[in-house]
Amino acid sequence: MDRTLLCFKERRNALNKRSLHLYIVLTLLSLLLGACATENVPTTPTGSATGTAVTGGTQARFPQTPPPLRTPDFGKVAPTVKVLASIDPTLIVQFPLFPSGIKAKFPDASGVVTVFQNTKANDFDAVTVDVQKMPPNVKFTVFFVEISAKPFGHAEYVGDVITREDGTGESTFHLITFVAFAADNRHPVTSADQSGDASGIQLEHVGIWFDGVASARQVLNDPTLAGTPFDGGITAFHGGPQAMTDGQTLPVI
Amino acid sequence: MSTLQYRRRSPLAVLKGPFLLLIAMLASVLCGSVASAAPRQQQASSAFNANAQLLKQMVQHGQLAPSVKIVNTLAPTTIVQFPLFPSGIKQAFPDATALVTIVRGDRDDSTSDTVTVDVQKMPPNITFTIFFIELANKPFGNVQYVADLTTRGDGSGESIFHVITLVAFAMDARNPGTSQDQEGTTSGINLEHMGMWFSSLIDAQEVLNDTTLTGTIFDGGSPPLHAGPQAMTDGQDAPVF
Repeated sequence: MDRTLLCFKERRNALNKRSLHLYIVLTLLSLLLGACATENVPTTPTGSATGTAVTGGTQARFPQTPPPLRTPDFGKVAPTVKVLASIDPTLIVQFPLFPSGIKAKFPDASGVVTVFQNTKANDFDAVTVDVQKMPPNVKFTVFFVEISAKPFGHAEYVGDVITREDGTGESTFHLITFVAFAADNRHPVTSADQSGDASGIQLEHVGIWFDGVASARQVLNDPTLAGTPFDGGITAFHGGPQAMTDGQTLPVI
Repeated sequence: MSTLQYRRRSPLAVLKGPFLLLIAMLASVLCGSVASAAPRQQQASSAFNANAQLLKQMVQHGQLAPSVKIVNTLAPTTIVQFPLFPSGIKQAFPDATALVTIVRGDRDDSTSDTVTVDVQKMPPNITFTIFFIELANKPFGNVQYVADLTTRGDGSGESIFHVITLVAFAMDARNPGTSQDQEGTTSGINLEHMGMWFSSLIDAQEVLNDTTLTGTIFDGGSPPLHAGPQAMTDGQDAPVF
């Protein structure tokens, strides 16, 4: 009698376990089927004759054609400057940098400067400097300058670029660029930029300098190199020589 | 009776062992994470920031203006904050305020500083220019045009820019000269103050109801002297950055 009862209990227990497993499997299966059914609801836009997209359910319409591109006038600039065709009201200007002080050691070094501006947003400019095949693991300073070649004239220190092991590097700055100028308000002067006469001395060129004369001497293997003012902070004249220049007589920014 | 008890307990009995084990594991993981988090928090709050400490000492010694606040940041970052006060707009907008926040990353590895200028109760819907300047007050000396800020209808506004700030300087490389900053002698003329100007003289004349105002150099582009007077200044003799 006891043995029969034990068998009965074991069978019932096994049945309960099976029921529980079956219940779990059925629940998971129903969830899976539900998910598949939801995925089958059409959500991809379908084109229409008016060039707009209709999304399933909400009937919202979105343009399907890109806005037109136009190339804004950027005045009289250097022949290396490329004004890109872009969507109104943006202005995107690009120009290359060429090796100057590093030309003998790194003749293939190259740089591209991209300046972006949204002319109707009362905003200012975003500048990206990308370099390749430069001296690796070196910190350089970036200046806006009055003249692209020596003696460079007035200068504004805007940022740094630190190269990687492979000589690449990039840096992004966000500041006034297209109308950058230097001035001493005690003796204000005027100068011509692309839009006419303006206050101060226009800074319309970009250059890259070694941030330390010590690293320049090491990289260029020239212990006779003298310090320059092309880095901020102590000590005076601890900057190195120019490494890259836009090399143009006419403005690039 | 015993069968009934067994039947009632059977689903739990199936799960009890693994369930208890799971709870025990979760509890131990939780206790472990709390215990290990405590020293980390302690470490973070007590970390010594040499750069911030140096700047604090400069404020104490008068090398930085008393209006400058050095924030308790985690090394290697440094955050400097200071207010701007109404200058040219003081009569018409006496409650105008501005807060400048400069964030610098690692001194060796960062490529520029991030500056945020937040303003309140300024003339609404006006574009102002922001300059780094040699002197906080007239004649301002050498200047560097860094950004614009356009206020909203309620007189609030903000501008964020990325540029060398804590070691900003002006120079003519033909005759660069040297000057003193907080750490010693440097190339060029240090620009250690900040001000905001009306970008348009016409706006300034209208907002301040003063047609006698004359143009200034404090905006870029043509024509010359089309900018208005200074609106806000840090107002300090000692450097603010």
